[in-house]
Amino acid sequence: MPTALEITKLTKRYPTGVDALKGVSLSIEDGEFFGLLGPNGAGKSTLIHCATGLAQPTSGTIEIFGNDAIHHYREARAAVGLAPQELNLDWFLTVEESLDYHGGYFGMPKRERRERVAELLDTFSLTDKRDDRTRTLSGGMKRRLILARAMLHRPRLLILDEPTAGVDVELRLELWHYVQRVNAEGTTILLTTHYLEEAEQLCNQIAFINDGEIVAQGTSAELADRYGTASLEDAYLTLVGRKELSRAHIADAGEAEGTT
Amino acid sequence: MNGKPEIGDPPHDGQARGATRRPRSGRLTPGQIRFITLVRREITRFVKIKRQTLGAPLLETFLYISVFGAALGSRIKQLHGVDYVVFIIPGLIMMAWATNAFSNNSSSILQQKFQGAIQDQLSSPASPAELLLGFSLGGFLRGMMVSSITFVVASLMIDLPVDHPFVLLAGIFLVGFFFSQLGVLVGVRAEQFDDVAFYQTFVLQPLIFLGGVFYSAALLPEPFQTLTQFNPVYYMINLVRYGFIGYSEANIALSLGFLTVATAALLAVNLRLFRSGYRLRA
Repeated sequence: MPTALEITKLTKRYPTGVDALKGVSLSIEDGEFFGLLGPNGAGKSTLIHCATGLAQPTSGTIEIFGNDAIHHYREARAAVGLAPQELNLDWFLTVEESLDYHGGYFGMPKRERRERVAELLDTFSLTDKRDDRTRTLSGGMKRRLILARAMLHRPRLLILDEPTAGVDVELRLELWHYVQRVNAEGTTILLTTHYLEEAEQLCNQIAFINDGEIVAQGTSAELADRYGTASLEDAYLTLVGRKELSRAHIADAGEAEGTT
Repeated sequence: MNGKPEIGDPPHDGQARGATRRPRSGRLTPGQIRFITLVRREITRFVKIKRQTLGAPLLETFLYISVFGAALGSRIKQLHGVDYVVFIIPGLIMMAWATNAFSNNSSSILQQKFQGAIQDQLSSPASPAELLLGFSLGGFLRGMMVSSITFVVASLMIDLPVDHPFVLLAGIFLVGFFFSQLGVLVGVRAEQFDDVAFYQTFVLQPLIFLGGVFYSAALLPEPFQTLTQFNPVYYMINLVRYGFIGYSEANIALSLGFLTVATAALLAVNLRLFRSGYRLRA
């Protein structure tokens, strides 16, 4: 069984001269729930864009279920569902059209699209909104639609780029339950997030990316161990050189102040 | 989310959809479905804003016919053996196709880049050629609709001849496709709406107006008569006018030849840009 996503020595230099990725190698096994953590500008979105054809790598290789994502992009892209960070919905389309057209772009026959769209509208509580233009949806509704769209063509690899940024607690928990179930059913998931508890809760493998390089990879416990810290958050803060922000550190300082 | 089972249900049967699966006979292939959907998206867009995309150009064309044909025409009478209004209608039909094809495609692509919505097509298995043709056909079909309605309505109102239907169809289809491609090119290159408006107002409109939609270049004084011959749109108008009324100031075979070569060259440039991902893929 080939790995879901195999990235080797991937570099990306933007025309501005910025090196967003500096030789990233990454392997995500089929069925894994993989978390990619890192500060803003670390290269998370660039990596995702390279894997989905939205950015063109400068060098290196990307294979998705054994298919070269650059030269055999049809097979590779057909296997991937992308829920991007930006709410990139088409203003001219309704909720239902957004899903239907996405299915069309992925070559799904009409009847299959109709059934799958109805199923996902129901799953994401969007049935009442099916004829609304996407522009009129609330932020939370847009986020649901983005996820439904990513799932529509039944991808084997689901890429979620900060799916819970700016959503309320209820929706965040709903999304967590949903993606966990999808993963349990066999879909491989690559998740980027700023919320460390999200990664801890959901992911069985986590990689830290910083300044265009993967600097550590393992389970949450392994990473905490490696950095000699009590939690994933502290490991992360150590990585980005901001140990002084550790909650344990702040609590200790508070207690120390209280005793004087 | 209502917690129903089997929502993910990924196809773990080896190959993913959209690439290699062969349909049963009579069914559309994934590639055909994809292409039809790309075109459907473009048609849906202009139909949803039809007042602006179909209504406005139709009104504009009929205003031209009223002002130039009816009001001025009563003074000008005949030009090269036909009524003035009949002389200008072929140019107006061509202009409608050209400007609608151009503005539709340039605006649609730029809007999708702005919204980021174009990422949905770009991250799909669609090839550069499929994407290019999908984006092109929206404007082509919108131009065809406006031109056809103008033709039908004008034919009901006046006696509009069609002397050379094959030259007319070949000429006007090439014009429509040329400006569709030009619209795509400008839309892909554009970074703000001003970029699109610039070409429309400062390049396209003057070339079309000075190409002889409303007058015969043979009647112009020098140096304007000679200058007009450097305007490519002049030959397009002549082709279409020849198709309708059989009158042309330019060599028809040469005009058709050049237009075919120019359209093919533009198509090749666009295909190269789409393959390279220029301003579409970072």
